[in-house]
Amino acid sequence: MAAEAGSSAVVPVEPDVDLTVHPSGIVPQLQNVVATVNLECKLDLKNIALHARNAEYNPKRFAAVIMRIREPKSTALIFHSGKMVCTGTKSEAEARTASRKYAKILQKLSYSVSFKEFKIQNMVGSCDVKFPIRLEGLASTHAMFCSYEPELFPGLIYRMADPKIVLLIFVSGKVVLTGAKKREDIYRAFESIYPVLQTFRKGGMISAPEVPAALPAPPPQQQQQAALPMVGGLQ
Amino acid sequence: MACSALYRQSKLGTSLVDALDQLVEEGKLPPQLALRILDEYDTVVLDSLENKVTAKANMKGHLDIYRYCDNVWTFILSGATFRLAPTQGSSRRDEQEVRVEKCKIVCVDQKLAPGADA
Repeated sequence: MAAEAGSSAVVPVEPDVDLTVHPSGIVPQLQNVVATVNLECKLDLKNIALHARNAEYNPKRFAAVIMRIREPKSTALIFHSGKMVCTGTKSEAEARTASRKYAKILQKLSYSVSFKEFKIQNMVGSCDVKFPIRLEGLASTHAMFCSYEPELFPGLIYRMADPKIVLLIFVSGKVVLTGAKKREDIYRAFESIYPVLQTFRKGGMISAPEVPAALPAPPPQQQQQAALPMVGGLQ
Repeated sequence: MACSALYRQSKLGTSLVDALDQLVEEGKLPPQLALRILDEYDTVVLDSLENKVTAKANMKGHLDIYRYCDNVWTFILSGATFRLAPTQGSSRRDEQEVRVEKCKIVCVDQKLAPGADA
């Protein structure tokens, strides 16, 4: 990517980053993985809450048992129907082992559980581009994808179409990516937003384009937004 | 009433129950009066704990197991320390520290207790 040469001076490339997958040299870290599984077994939630450890069950508030384990650190919502949601793990593999552990706990309470339809429903990643970003500029040039209401939320919400990922982009340069079913989607989304963020880098840094210069000449990464009426509409 | 009757199981409560039992057995006290006294005890204990006790304690420990079911929280701590601060009016001036290997804490919400509707 064109941005690579400029970025390598500022963003130190970590030693074992595969630059073919992560041309930016930054690998978004997974922060949360949500998975569901069908245990195909009706469950007596009160019995589970009474006999399992680290379980909460308050049917008045929520119709599921909330159970936690320490390794892998995670939380499960266990429903009467036998469906289960496992959240809080940091990788696909952890989500699977955690779900299996919950199934095992229920098995020990003498439920004949199976382990069907395991599916990752959502993944959240985050990273830091390590430079401040002009969110207003980004919001006006990519208006189709952006929602930026600093009075409501300080981050810019960027709804990427392909991969279908939602990004929260903050002035500080921190980026949160969510809505992914696959890890690769997070990586792809970040690699496509990174060059865009570089063009909206706040001035005063070494390789950042001067603020006025950036406006009349839209950067090359934005062909898809070329038709937008808002281009150059800032100030 | 079942919830406030919890404190009948305390040392003070059991002593009172024992004493009343004895008096009733000896025929010195009508049973209704004994029950009335226990009811009074329940309300007074709740009121005192809420409004009169100034003692403070901190506890700290590693939470091994917790559970919430039927509006009852259960916590099992290991390596728990209780720091009991001296109260006004007590002769004790130093802070007491009690350390236990295992400790079980059961918490009932007074308003939501299972006995409230039973």
